Amino acid sequence: MRRFGRQCRGQGKILVTVVRQTEQQLLQLGSPIAALAQAAQPGLQRVTHLAEPQRDRLAKQLQAAMEAHHAISTQSRRLTQGKRLHHCKIVHAYDGTIAPILKGKSNCPAQFGRKPGLLSEPTTGFIFALRVPPGNPSDPSYVLPMLDKAQGAINRVSRPRRLAIHSVAGDLGVNDAALREALHARGILTVGIPQTVAPIPPSPTQEEVCESLTAAGLHRKRTPHQVHLAFACGYSRPVVESHIASLLARGAGHIRYKGLQGAGVQIGMTVIAHNGAAMVRIRQLQLSKRAQKFRRLLGLRHRKINQINTSKN
Amino acid sequence: MRLFRSLQHWLTGHGMRLQVADFVPKTPPLRQWAETFPWTALVAAIDRSFAPRFPKDSTRGRPRVSPRVLLALELLKHEVGASDEAICHRLRTDFAVMYACGIEAVQVDGSQEHLVLPETLAQFRQRLDEALIDERLAIQAAAAMEEGLVSPAHLLVDPFPSEQGSQRVTDATTLYKAQKKSATSSRPSRRPAPRKRLR
Repeated sequence: MRRFGRQCRGQGKILVTVVRQTEQQLLQLGSPIAALAQAAQPGLQRVTHLAEPQRDRLAKQLQAAMEAHHAISTQSRRLTQGKRLHHCKIVHAYDGTIAPILKGKSNCPAQFGRKPGLLSEPTTGFIFALRVPPGNPSDPSYVLPMLDKAQGAINRVSRPRRLAIHSVAGDLGVNDAALREALHARGILTVGIPQTVAPIPPSPTQEEVCESLTAAGLHRKRTPHQVHLAFACGYSRPVVESHIASLLARGAGHIRYKGLQGAGVQIGMTVIAHNGAAMVRIRQLQLSKRAQKFRRLLGLRHRKINQINTSKN
Repeated sequence: MRLFRSLQHWLTGHGMRLQVADFVPKTPPLRQWAETFPWTALVAAIDRSFAPRFPKDSTRGRPRVSPRVLLALELLKHEVGASDEAICHRLRTDFAVMYACGIEAVQVDGSQEHLVLPETLAQFRQRLDEALIDERLAIQAAAAMEEGLVSPAHLLVDPFPSEQGSQRVTDATTLYKAQKKSATSSRPSRRPAPRKRLR
């Protein structure tokens, strides 16, 4: 999807005339919005019988209506025959937060939409945090906000056991020097984020462990055992694909609710439903050998709830 | 029919009350799935979020549908892959769905108390926001960590693409296709007129 109006791979036909007709209609329809919204804003401030949160919500909706019209009129001036548009172009008149998500493939089924990010446990697929940002931001920008959310969940745990995030793994898209530094500053290992296309070794040597601890500056904070585990759960495409496939099976691949808020609600609900199913699997011990081994190493409880503890005689 | 639908919350059945849990065995996946959620904390989070944003001005009107039921329906919708109408319909007849929604007992004869309209579910969904979704996810994760089922020690991050609604490329393409269609339909038909029958 390189240019505005292109429909399929091959001929890059740009329907500038048709775009102009559409935009004229949209701009005509939205031209009174600016005047009406400006008149409505002082009226909204004067209303006293509305609660403060309600007034804020209405003010936000008013602001969104004004911004939508402004964005369409700005983009309509930039469109010229045969020229590419800037990165943050509008692809949907009602929703400015949708972006092209598959670059260079205009004949693929998913061209415009959103890119939700997941922060999940590699063994069981339990998702700790979710982010549905507007547009199509870079992959490293997802990591820190989602870690903050996961930390918020950890802070809710009331039991005395100390829980902390030891390592984060990702694909080559997450490889960013600034992000690595920020993670090291939080005491989080980044050995699971590859720096090259070469695969991460599942069992590192003693030198590699020392080297990664020195590079991260976490000699006192993280133990070699934790580094070994971080290498073991280093980014594995089949693992993360299975988590995503589970969400896609629950309808997360196609967002049916309106707007950014709707997308957040749909994906959020899907993730919570998926987590429920993951917890059922954990309780019934329907886990892969790798997951079981990893859970033993992490010291997670092993409950045989379906086994009858009676005498075998 | 419309009046009936709007009055359905007052229509109560009579006769013996059936205990829903008696009709749902312990093994079905839907019951096990429903038992994993910390419902009390999740419903409390919803009440905390809704109370300041949507204050109730009057005490009149029909009693509200419990947020526990609406939340469970919304989650079930994604778990079983059903539409709003389908999941609300299943709530009338399916005891496993009733159990997942926290309905403890129903009347034998034509009870309509527990019914939920798809429109009510859509209104509930409109009130949810990002902060509330994050809070509920955090509550669920905290409950799982407290139970010792999961550990946040080693995590994996990955975004995935998700297409939005109609994949018509642009509004311009929509207009172009509509114009083309209307132009095609307005052309005179090329089919020859049927022959007159000879007598």
